[in-house]
Amino acid sequence: MSALVGPGGPLGAPVQSAVVVGAGLAGLTAATELARHGVAVTVLEAQPAVGGRTRGVEVAPGRWIDAGAAYLGDRHTELHALLAESDLKTAPTTMLGASRFALGDGPEHATRDGRFPPLNAVALGDLFELLDELTAAVRPDAPWLTPNAELLDGMTAADWAEQQLPHPDARLFFPLFLGEMMAADPADVSVLHMATYLRSGGGLRYLNAFEGGAQQDRVAGGAHRLCERLAERLRADGGGLRCGEPVRAVEQDGAGVTVHTELASYRADAVVVAVPPLLADAIDFGPGRPAPRAGVRTGRGCAVKLNLVYPEPVWRAHGLSGWSVNAAGPLLSTVDDTPPEGSPGVLTGFVTGAEAHRFAALDAGQQRAAAVAQAARLFPMLPEPIGFHVTDWVNEPFSKGCYAALFGPGDWLSLGPALTAPHGRVHWAGTETSTEFFGLMEGAIRSGRRVAAELLPR
Amino acid sequence: MSLDMPAAASPATAPPADGSLLDSVAAIFCRVLEAAEVPADGNFFLLGGDSLIATRVLSAVARAHAVELSFEEFVADPTPAGVADRVAAAGLTGVQGAAR
Repeated sequence: MSALVGPGGPLGAPVQSAVVVGAGLAGLTAATELARHGVAVTVLEAQPAVGGRTRGVEVAPGRWIDAGAAYLGDRHTELHALLAESDLKTAPTTMLGASRFALGDGPEHATRDGRFPPLNAVALGDLFELLDELTAAVRPDAPWLTPNAELLDGMTAADWAEQQLPHPDARLFFPLFLGEMMAADPADVSVLHMATYLRSGGGLRYLNAFEGGAQQDRVAGGAHRLCERLAERLRADGGGLRCGEPVRAVEQDGAGVTVHTELASYRADAVVVAVPPLLADAIDFGPGRPAPRAGVRTGRGCAVKLNLVYPEPVWRAHGLSGWSVNAAGPLLSTVDDTPPEGSPGVLTGFVTGAEAHRFAALDAGQQRAAAVAQAARLFPMLPEPIGFHVTDWVNEPFSKGCYAALFGPGDWLSLGPALTAPHGRVHWAGTETSTEFFGLMEGAIRSGRRVAAELLPR
Repeated sequence: MSLDMPAAASPATAPPADGSLLDSVAAIFCRVLEAAEVPADGNFFLLGGDSLIATRVLSAVARAHAVELSFEEFVADPTPAGVADRVAAAGLTGVQGAAR
């Protein structure tokens, strides 16, 4: 533990000033909360604009969709509250019609009502029973204290599947499920992380469901708009925001903290580091190093999000939902992401897990050709797309992955206990510091509220 | 995709499932739906179930009663009575204990 004494909280003096590193949902939630209580706040953001892992794409004049974080459900109460305060609305995710599945070796696909794949139901049920058992056993507030945590944290989800899933259909479906659910290849996450993620998000059924689940709604106009509104509110409350300034180092002393960017230095009573673990770990802290924010096995969430834009969502007229699940990439799953106004038609594809690395290595022309061809095989009624957007989160230098960092073997036991522990004047936020809704927008907001409470007088 | 089908016998002509089989299936519905009680004619999907957790019912039924039902068979009558009838129709009425 650090011998440094930090301000804020019941024992320290209330802070008068703070620097927040990162203008994603976590950092902006913390910053607006602090500014509202009279703290002089400066937010430093490496990217040219706010948003973090939310990002909008304008697919037609005034019509926006999400290239990053997108979905929310009723249990995401802090997100709903923030949207209401920010005068933003949600729009239901439509999922009407049949799904397409290409789960064999070849390009053939099957069409089925609902979202159930044409695989052995008992084998998939065995998989989900096992996952439910693991999920139920997690200690939600402190996953590292879960019974058998050492065993579960020492094993990858791929090892687990090898041991536990004898049926080929379960083995085929498991990586697709994990890719879709947490943008992870099974070899990249520990069993404890998988179980923690599922538990923290509300369990298998809630996380997987659209209606009545974590994908029930989208933010009308795009989730990035929430970050923009928070930035406006921050400015209105006298806070500062500087984009295009990556933070390199944080020095603290008895009187305060100095945050160094490539361009300038900022002095404050405390700093909130609200960037993903791999980026937080790359900041130089002194004197004295905080507990590591990431380990050698901590990985990047492996998601490349593709938005294919067509004049209309023509699949709807053919009784199809736009939902597909595919054993071969690049589009491991697709979903109808047409804006609430009804056009243009947007088919969003998820390239996740190991496939995301392969796809990211292609040049732009190859990426487009592969995605458009696969979409046309799945939905032969599609015309040529009128727009094509690739968002490669894996190689985004100031996100280093999406949906969230992947905790590999050993990470929860070594990183977990210190996720939220302040290091002197350095406090931590970000969706990866939240054991509630880890990896989701809701987790980011909850972490921002938690860290603001650490710094404000009680 | 080949599915393990139970012996061909229409549930309409098969004898109704006995009480202990129905109780066992209803208990599986309760556990998976996280519901205190599910009536014999309670529709899984109207009680909050979805296709993902429906497979958990089929997995538990297979373990308890050694009958593998397909997803389509489940959807045709997604109630404890419907599933119990299918299991009974498969000719394996021996209850081998609750799922857990």
